[in-house]
Amino acid sequence: MIFLERISLALVILAACRSSPVPAGPISIIDDAGDTVRLAVPARRVVSLIPATTELLFAIGADSQVIGRTSYCDYPDEAKAVPNLGDGIKPNIEAVIASRPSLVLLYNSGQNAGVSGRLRELGVPSVRLNTDALSSVPRVAQMLGKLTGHQRAADSLAAVFDTALASATQPQRTRRPKVLLLVWEQPPMTIGRGSFLNELVERAGAENLFADVAGTDGVVSIEAVAARNPDLIFTTAEGPSAFASRPEWQVVPAVRDKRFLHVTGSEFNRPSPRSPLAIRELTAQLNRGTR
Amino acid sequence: MSGARFGGLGLVVILCLLLGLSAGAVPLPLAAVWAGLWHSGAEASGIVRDLRAPRVVLAFLVGGSLGICGAALQAMIRNPLAEPYLLGLSSGAGLGAVIAIATRAGGAWAVPLAAFIGALCAVALVYRLSLVSGRRLDPHVLLLSGVVVGAFAGALMSAVMVLSDAPGVRNAFLWLLGGFGTASWRALTVFSAYALVPVALLLFHARSLDLIALGDEPARHLGADVDRLRRVVYLCTALLTAASVATCGIIGFVGLVVPHAVRTVFRPLHRTLLPVVFLVGGCFLVLADVVARTAVRPLELPVGVVTALIGVPLFALLLRRTLA
Amino acid sequence: MILQGRDIAVRYRPSAPLALDGVTCGVAGSELVAVVGPNGSGKTTLARALLGLLPLERGAVSVDGRPVSSWSRRALARVVGVVGQQEEAVFRLTVAETVMLGRYAHLGPLAAPGELDRAAVSAALERCDIVDLADRPVDSLSGGEWKRVRVARALAQEPRVLVLDEPTASLDIRHEMELFELVRQLVNGGLAGLVITHHLNLAGRFADRILLLDRGVVVADGPPSAVLSRAALSRVFDWPVAVTTWSDGSPQVVPLRAAEQESSP
Repeated sequence: MIFLERISLALVILAACRSSPVPAGPISIIDDAGDTVRLAVPARRVVSLIPATTELLFAIGADSQVIGRTSYCDYPDEAKAVPNLGDGIKPNIEAVIASRPSLVLLYNSGQNAGVSGRLRELGVPSVRLNTDALSSVPRVAQMLGKLTGHQRAADSLAAVFDTALASATQPQRTRRPKVLLLVWEQPPMTIGRGSFLNELVERAGAENLFADVAGTDGVVSIEAVAARNPDLIFTTAEGPSAFASRPEWQVVPAVRDKRFLHVTGSEFNRPSPRSPLAIRELTAQLNRGTR
Repeated sequence: MSGARFGGLGLVVILCLLLGLSAGAVPLPLAAVWAGLWHSGAEASGIVRDLRAPRVVLAFLVGGSLGICGAALQAMIRNPLAEPYLLGLSSGAGLGAVIAIATRAGGAWAVPLAAFIGALCAVALVYRLSLVSGRRLDPHVLLLSGVVVGAFAGALMSAVMVLSDAPGVRNAFLWLLGGFGTASWRALTVFSAYALVPVALLLFHARSLDLIALGDEPARHLGADVDRLRRVVYLCTALLTAASVATCGIIGFVGLVVPHAVRTVFRPLHRTLLPVVFLVGGCFLVLADVVARTAVRPLELPVGVVTALIGVPLFALLLRRTLA
Repeated sequence: MILQGRDIAVRYRPSAPLALDGVTCGVAGSELVAVVGPNGSGKTTLARALLGLLPLERGAVSVDGRPVSSWSRRALARVVGVVGQQEEAVFRLTVAETVMLGRYAHLGPLAAPGELDRAAVSAALERCDIVDLADRPVDSLSGGEWKRVRVARALAQEPRVLVLDEPTASLDIRHEMELFELVRQLVNGGLAGLVITHHLNLAGRFADRILLLDRGVVVADGPPSAVLSRAALSRVFDWPVAVTTWSDGSPQVVPLRAAEQESSP
């Protein structure tokens, strides 16, 4: 008996070392909402209702296991071939169930607590994740790796991400350019400390004009912007564009001198493996702008 | 005696305007404000002249306009609890704004224009409903129709917001809640051009409002052309309120609370009431705007929230005083 | 005749019966006419028709010789003063301010009140004996005082005709008499008075002429002693009455009780 046990143990250890996509044994993780989720085998049919996780699933090689996405899941291009199950903000449980998933990935919002419970009643495990911070990329990637049987790929992605992030992060300079992160113009809204865009900008070597705003976003006045006098005004593809020509904005020197930093590209919409690239892009633009 | 009151009022107006100019996201001493106002080269001149000055004046004009709209409506509906937004205007404006954002209508003026049109459509619908019942502009029918149309537009607005995938539809709410953050001389000019005729008409008909407040029949017997007066008041208040919404979102309570407050100090006769309400309403909104932009510096609170927060306890106080 | 209606017919809705059918009624200066009749006989309808407030199916109303429709409301208010049945004040004006509102017909929306207006208001306050109430807010007045304030307001219009619709409703004896005495004095002073009332006895004491209406038709039109007859009243009001004569010669109506009805001829 002891001999058999030793052989079994050795076999288990051997099996764990192999890089097969289907490791042995049940999977158990604790999601960001504190729930313990158990799967007997890695999930073969995953509905990803978060754009960040859709991107990550493709990045760790689990693309064939993704059977549902949201309308905001726009990267990579191959993701667009996956069936669209709605905007994901208020998940359509019927549509999700109809695709017969073995795992559903939900954003960790208060609303989705109810959705998660409902799915559990219907026999579908779901995992709630916080995907707002840059630090979520390696963490969530590794969780997804366990859940889908791509642990090795996930681990290497995490390692690569950490290195790339570290190397893309600019050293702290004494004089950093002040950037206004303008996401809406009527009323004028900016991004605060709590947002990942803030982190991107700071790692790129600039300073958020409204770093004292604690939350993710807030309404500000043009007067506050003018008084703080940003060096650059940052906007994304979905952000405002008309403000530059409006007379009340001309009080801000950066608007008068047209010192704008405009980025298109979904790598600025969410934390992802492309974030280090986004940081490099920003750094390049900043250096151009302040030359 | 009343001369002293008016003098006091004038002083209050000047103080409020000065406060509005000196308060803001950036604290400026009065001397700097003064210098910035008159000398274009001064340090604070950009902020004071191009941002604060039009903002304060616009807040004053909008507050005054909403105030006299409230007073006129209270006379016309014979109910001291009337508010310009009871006519369904606010929801109509909200619906227009949200549709403009959802359809990604371009141009800086798309949203305000859509809000204006939405407000007027709601008013027209309320008017049409009052005709259908055969009781043209009857106060009770107006109030009921206003509530119904308001609820309808509000429901449509929520539907559009849920169904639309345009970015910033949620931000439409923030705009609707009211703010002067994007006030400019241009916005001020447009609003003034719009408001001039309705305000003048309401002031012209001040004494007629005293009559109509007595009731339709007594007013007629005293010589008032009640039907024409109702149409004029309705149209003027609709235009003024719609223009306010288009300029700075939905700001409630000014039209409700200011006439009440003024009636506790001044006579309720509209020939004095309306001009005083205009001045006090203007001051009220200027002060509310000051709170909106200094309470959570550097962020801004929506002005509509501030007027509600001030307005409700103030209203409770006034009720106690008048009913005690 | 300052206020004159000829052969007036009024129908409220296309399918409804006529509320007034061929009523001719007028009032001249220094004359007090009372319009009486049972509920639904068309008294208030007649008053509103005479004031040009109702569309006529037939007939014409003229004020001072001209058709009522040719008068603007303001011009009409300078000739006809009306005291309606009920009025509730929403805003707390003083008595003086309320009476001053009667000058609207002369001032219009814009003009500031002048000497003439203040004089008219004082005169109105005096004639209605409410000078000492001038600064009181109207919501602190009794029913009788409020009525007199409204009469004063109508007088401030300096009209030539005074129309009162059920002026004694909810007034006690003293206030009823005071009001009618006031109206009588005003009529003696030259005003034309038209009073809609259900109070037969007061009409009998004070009116020069009484118009008896029944279901939209004039049943009788003449001095009280002629109109307030037992036969006519019993028929029109569908209740047996007896008519006695008071010491000043005016007929007084006494409705009979069941026991009394058998013994009466």
